[in-house]
Amino acid sequence: MKQLYVFLMVSSFFAFSQEEQKKDTTKLKEVIVTGQYSPQSVKKSVFQVEVITRAQIEQQGANNLADVLNQALNINIIPNASTGKSTVQLFGLDAQYFKILIDNIPVINDEGLGNNTDLTQINLDDVQQIEIVEGSMGVQYGANAVSGVINIITKKYGKYTWEITPYLQEETVGNEYALFNEGRHIQSLKIGHNFSKSLYGNAVFTRNDFAGFWSDKKGKSHELNDGKRGYAWLPKQQHTTKVLLNYIGKNNFRSFYKFEYFDENIKRYSEKVDLNFNAATQTTSPVGDDLVFTSERFYHHLNFLGKWKNGFNYDISLSYQQQKRNVETFRYRIRAKQKFDIKEFEYESRKVIYSKGNFSNFLTNEYFDFQLGYEINNIKGYASSVSGSFDGKNITREIGSYDFFSSAEIYLKNFSFRPGARVLTSSLFKTQFALTLSTKYSFDNDFEIRTVVGSSPRLPNYAELYTFFVDANHDVRGNKDLTPEQGVSVFVHLKKNLYFDDSAIKVLSKLTLNYLSVRDRIELSIINEVPLQFEYINIDSYKTMGAFFNNTIRYKNFNAGIGVGLSGISKVLDSRENYKDDFLYSLNLNANASYYAKNIGTTFSAYLKHNGSSHQFVEREGVLVKGKRDGFSWLDASIRKDFLNKKIQATIGARNLLDITEVNTTASSTGAHSGADKTVSFGYGRSYFLKLVYNLNF
Amino acid sequence: MKKSLFFIKTLVLLLVVSACSDDEPEVVLEFAAAFENPSLSFSPTDETKEIKIVFSRAAPEAGTAVVSYIVDNATYGSDGDFTTTPSGESGTITVPFTLEANTITFAFNKLKNPIEGVTKAVSFTLKSVSIPESIIKGNTNLAVSFTESAALGGIFAPEVGGSTQPNQVFIDLSSQTQTTAKRDSWNLGFYNGDDFRVTINGAIFMGATPLDKTDINTVVEADVTDLKELIKTSAAGTGIYFDGPTGEISKTVIAEVSETAEENKVYLLKLGFEVPTEEAEVGKVNLSGELKGWRKIRILRNGNDYVLQHAAIDATTFEEVTISKNADYNLTYFSFDTSATVDVEPLKEKWDLNFTVFTNVIPFGPGVTGGYGYSDYVVTNLKGGAKSYSISTDDFTYDDFTLANVSNDSFIEDQRGIGSNWRSVFTKTVKADKFFVLKDEDGNLYKIRFNALLNDSGERGYPKFEYALLK
Repeated sequence: MKQLYVFLMVSSFFAFSQEEQKKDTTKLKEVIVTGQYSPQSVKKSVFQVEVITRAQIEQQGANNLADVLNQALNINIIPNASTGKSTVQLFGLDAQYFKILIDNIPVINDEGLGNNTDLTQINLDDVQQIEIVEGSMGVQYGANAVSGVINIITKKYGKYTWEITPYLQEETVGNEYALFNEGRHIQSLKIGHNFSKSLYGNAVFTRNDFAGFWSDKKGKSHELNDGKRGYAWLPKQQHTTKVLLNYIGKNNFRSFYKFEYFDENIKRYSEKVDLNFNAATQTTSPVGDDLVFTSERFYHHLNFLGKWKNGFNYDISLSYQQQKRNVETFRYRIRAKQKFDIKEFEYESRKVIYSKGNFSNFLTNEYFDFQLGYEINNIKGYASSVSGSFDGKNITREIGSYDFFSSAEIYLKNFSFRPGARVLTSSLFKTQFALTLSTKYSFDNDFEIRTVVGSSPRLPNYAELYTFFVDANHDVRGNKDLTPEQGVSVFVHLKKNLYFDDSAIKVLSKLTLNYLSVRDRIELSIINEVPLQFEYINIDSYKTMGAFFNNTIRYKNFNAGIGVGLSGISKVLDSRENYKDDFLYSLNLNANASYYAKNIGTTFSAYLKHNGSSHQFVEREGVLVKGKRDGFSWLDASIRKDFLNKKIQATIGARNLLDITEVNTTASSTGAHSGADKTVSFGYGRSYFLKLVYNLNF
Repeated sequence: MKKSLFFIKTLVLLLVVSACSDDEPEVVLEFAAAFENPSLSFSPTDETKEIKIVFSRAAPEAGTAVVSYIVDNATYGSDGDFTTTPSGESGTITVPFTLEANTITFAFNKLKNPIEGVTKAVSFTLKSVSIPESIIKGNTNLAVSFTESAALGGIFAPEVGGSTQPNQVFIDLSSQTQTTAKRDSWNLGFYNGDDFRVTINGAIFMGATPLDKTDINTVVEADVTDLKELIKTSAAGTGIYFDGPTGEISKTVIAEVSETAEENKVYLLKLGFEVPTEEAEVGKVNLSGELKGWRKIRILRNGNDYVLQHAAIDATTFEEVTISKNADYNLTYFSFDTSATVDVEPLKEKWDLNFTVFTNVIPFGPGVTGGYGYSDYVVTNLKGGAKSYSISTDDFTYDDFTLANVSNDSFIEDQRGIGSNWRSVFTKTVKADKFFVLKDEDGNLYKIRFNALLNDSGERGYPKFEYALLK
């Protein structure tokens, strides 16, 4: 089987004759969308927006968001072995504080809208670029945009009448690879077509088969109760189908409709095996306790952008999205491969009707502009009793949010500033406000300074609101009176472009200082000593501050970047008897380099990120000590070669070259039963990929 | 263009190939058959008993099992010593089974009791089962004794009754019998031995404490309000409200009943909890239903009888019941539900193990004890003379353990020799590294190994164990 496979790969590889193709000469300026009235260059933006380009996505062989974000300076990807999800951590805050958008609107997942997203569920095959903005962006993006937002901008134009792009990607998972039951296998087909000058469409289908990470586990058919059954990382299969239609009309009118259907299948096999030893026949009948999660997402997004007669600009999005996670639990007779006691039910889901509108450019004047906008949504949520401790009840919640926002941009000679405000009203929480003030000053010598002050609330989650776990030994309750947490951030960015050697060498230096605080943090707290009772209350606060210095250099076909950051976190834990709110610092570094060897059509690239050791106060036998999570580094590298006039692209690469798996930590505060040193799992070790892309353009 | 198509075709082919994504080999499933138990014995009054053959999995097709036998001093036939159903006239017995059958049985009819001093026996051998590639494994032989004799071993599935564990199950290994009683069917057990002692029912988490009064009518609610808060399991310092968990009759929470009436105090009695009506979630137990309430009691002696005075807390009169000793049983049981004695235990020599919910007393920190409720607990019949101890598989394997390995000094004066040591409720598995030795009232020595805590569906309250006579 394997031989056939390799043969097919190789033979298809050499089977092409060279075809003439128009040369791609237009080099687009880096244009960004996030937080802007209308798309504009990074340089003009009052916000500091980091861009991950298509080229970088390609070089990293990234199929989903989790593949690419590990290299971002302040971001950590946290994989969860028991649910198969990977979520983001930014400034030490988890995915609840972070919002993920596609084409400016939040994307649904089974636990929320925009936040709590499983990064592995966001496919990147139709993506133009990824924009990252750090800091509280409540005015632009509403609640839960506390630590930042990621805005994924999809491709909406094609250069050719037809662009047909199939690709295959084969990847090892650590050192595991086999045709089916080990490794990662991706197949994708993308078709783009310009129906006419004004109508473009594309469709993408991708299958991503992650066979799980076995490590020292022995898979689903293992018959012994020795803790070896199952997988270290759960196997999952994903299918993504996306369709886009983009229409460009007169008078700057543009409209697109985007549809996505995503499904995912995650299998969890119990470590424990019931042997069912039959003493009479001296035989066993091993049984496991297994489950399959099946997620489905539907995403519809209709957008209109244009100019109203000769007046203002509008940008209106309408969206309906739905994501549902079903679970099938069953007992599994391992030897007979037979399921029984099968129960199937909805685990959790979210459905949203959503609309957002921006209206700007009311005045035809170059000094002042303002924007009005609304963002409304109605989210229907469902959490089954087994997805949390809800006293055996299923939770159904409908929440309507009605936000209105406005901002103004004032341009003076070298100075522009932009104040903004948003009113967040909802059917469940009392009215919230978000404020922002951004300023930008450009000095004559190519030196820019930006400050961004912003705020955003974080809404309480289901566990915080609805937990009810009361029995003889426990009393843990959610709290329906919780108020949203309040996030505020201040960012100062200093940026300078330097040119050497007649502009052959370009250097961009950037220094960022930041401060972010979250007040009224919700924490499970002891509200009564005898009897012991816990309840979620708004009590703690969280502060982080840091400095990041980043440099990029460009010389001919060589690009490189190096960044260093120092960040500190301080937690006020009024929910505990004992805490220290000293700032604890960690040092992060990242560096990347890429070189395009034109004569051989080959790009070499490498990405390195070092997460310095981080600290946290933990209680050990009643005494507060400084726990430490060891530092670790990610090193990825790849070589991409174009063949046959860029018709075929082959990328071979390695992820996690430093072979990071478990990282030692003494910084986990898991309560009374902890004490011993532990490890956290960040990766499955060094792995390699090969990606073959065929670009058929005509 | 043609070649591009080839590439696309290749991709499509690869896609199709990748879509069938399981390349594990098929395993041939074993089909094994055996007698459920290796021996069967008859008392003088027993006439017919069933002999069970078990399969390792449901039969994939209908068929027959063939059993042969050899006799020792016994003859087959209606005018002989025994017959079987189906008939064994020909020297073999052919037992049919249906598709999906897990067990089959045939009957052994004992027609004559042997004359005293004469041994009569029949030995059956399972010869074949008509399933292709089936094997006969494990208990391939079964010995039938016409007189009572200690069982050679076997398997048991005590009928604890599921996740609410409604039953106390009394097991007699030598006669291979189990007797069940509802665990909330009784409150007090009056000791039938020499001492005058009364136990409370730990299977429903009863508790008791003496009051400073000897006149039951003068006890009022105010005397006990604070105490009621204290008498509970899972709390530090509560060890004093429960019977000593060793099972020694001298360690009951209610003091020895004195001949001198004035020395017998009034006790506050927590009557424990009903068996819940709702099953727990799969894998969990649900042990406590409604609280049965509180009662005040005082126990006196009248000659060799017990006199129980009992009343509701605020009552100014009381009921009185006389309970006589019956030396055939360890305890005589009394229920406040019926205000009468109830049958619970078998005869005191007729049980070795009791599968029950149990109130243990465990350390809650240095010098502090507390009551703690256990499910799937196994107590040995200490009062009847049975004792046990546990063995680690680091020292002996179950299969290799013989009579010569028994250490008589290791038997403990404690009914908790098996206790909860056989299972972990956290991992929900039996402990594979432990087995047990039990010495019964007649001196028979058995080794015992637990095989299951859950049923096939993963529900609690379905234990299984195997045992074998050490000789």
